[in-house]
Amino acid sequence: MKIRAIVLLGTVAGVCLLLLTLQMRGHTAIASDALAIVTTPVQSALSRVNRAAVGVWSTYRDWKNVRAENRRLRDEAQQLRIDALRVTETIEENARLRRLLALKEAMPLATLSGEIIAREWGGWVRSLTVNRGRSDQVTRLTAVIAPDGLIGRVVDVRPGASIVQVLTDPASTVGAHVVRTRTQGIVEGEPRGTMRFKYMARDGSGIQVGDLLVSTGSGGLFPRGLPIGRVRAIDDRGSALFHYAQLTPAVDFARIDEVLLIVGEGSQDVAGLFPGGGI
Amino acid sequence: MRTFVAVAVFGGGIVHATVGPALRIADVAPDIPLIVVVLLALRRGPEFGCGAGFVAGLLQDAASGGLLGVQALTKALIGFTIGSLGGRLRVSQPLVQVPGLVLLTVAEGLARFALLKLFRFPAPFGELMTYVVLPQALYNGFLGAALVLALTWAESVRERTS
Repeated sequence: MKIRAIVLLGTVAGVCLLLLTLQMRGHTAIASDALAIVTTPVQSALSRVNRAAVGVWSTYRDWKNVRAENRRLRDEAQQLRIDALRVTETIEENARLRRLLALKEAMPLATLSGEIIAREWGGWVRSLTVNRGRSDQVTRLTAVIAPDGLIGRVVDVRPGASIVQVLTDPASTVGAHVVRTRTQGIVEGEPRGTMRFKYMARDGSGIQVGDLLVSTGSGGLFPRGLPIGRVRAIDDRGSALFHYAQLTPAVDFARIDEVLLIVGEGSQDVAGLFPGGGI
Repeated sequence: MRTFVAVAVFGGGIVHATVGPALRIADVAPDIPLIVVVLLALRRGPEFGCGAGFVAGLLQDAASGGLLGVQALTKALIGFTIGSLGGRLRVSQPLVQVPGLVLLTVAEGLARFALLKLFRFPAPFGELMTYVVLPQALYNGFLGAALVLALTWAESVRERTS
């Protein structure tokens, strides 16, 4: 038994290291595609079940409160509560979709709408899975936005889904500048789920709490002017070359349900489409 | 039984990415597949633990968009180790389960960090331990103990009814 177990462990370790090496050399498509064929439909189905379960749970909780307050009107109150919840949910969803549609129509670039079907929030990787993939002409590094601003970029494309690396992912970096002072720098994700702006000390002396940061558009990956976040705190490091500013993201990544993928190419400034800076 | 095991391993990996965020407390999510792998390894031994860890980890890697093989390897190692030690461990007490799962999560985090560092993972070690690994380890400890208690209770009810 022991030899068989050790051989199995050795084989598993060998396969894993081979997979890692192949990925580091750029051969990722075959393995991830094969797994995606199995995982994507299950993720979509579970996502729907999850949303339904959360809806049922909140409805039940509300029902309990109403019952405690007024037993005689329990049945009526329960029905009213459920109806109210449904209406509120519909109105909120309607408003979200209207904002998304307005942004999609106003964008000077070709976009594709998508729905979030899974989230990875462990800290090692912070990503969202969108139900748009290779069959929808999504490519790697496609920019992903919401009506409030930039969400991140596509890092993996599968047949029916794409993985989006959000701005708070520890491996995420985006070129940005402060709208008021034009100070250039880099926005980096942090393991604790926050993000920070790294900038040259002598250029950034005028940065203040509340300043808006937008994408620079350099490199051609993201359009210029997409809101990224606002300065929450400034980490003044004295005479150091770089200073840091803690940011509040323009988009609440944990609550976003619908997104736009920018599939068209271009370097237009889209700052005018986000008048409030997204926050 | 085989169907149950397949559902547990496969479900653990996929549910983690899809439903796991709903279980977040203060932005800390439990590592459900790790708990499932440890429970399976304790019951079925090192070979099964290793295989279950590999499959669950691979599915987690695939679902999260990270490097394929990192969690597959670390979870396979955890499954193998726990499966090998299973007979010698007294795991029926919550006082053993909670710190045991905490230590295993930290060990898995260290192995993962070492492996990712080989492939140029940029995050700093101290922050990862403070904000990701240790909170998740505590969460895993309590969630895993609750799961064991629930399973024990379910088994005792089944025995009484049969």
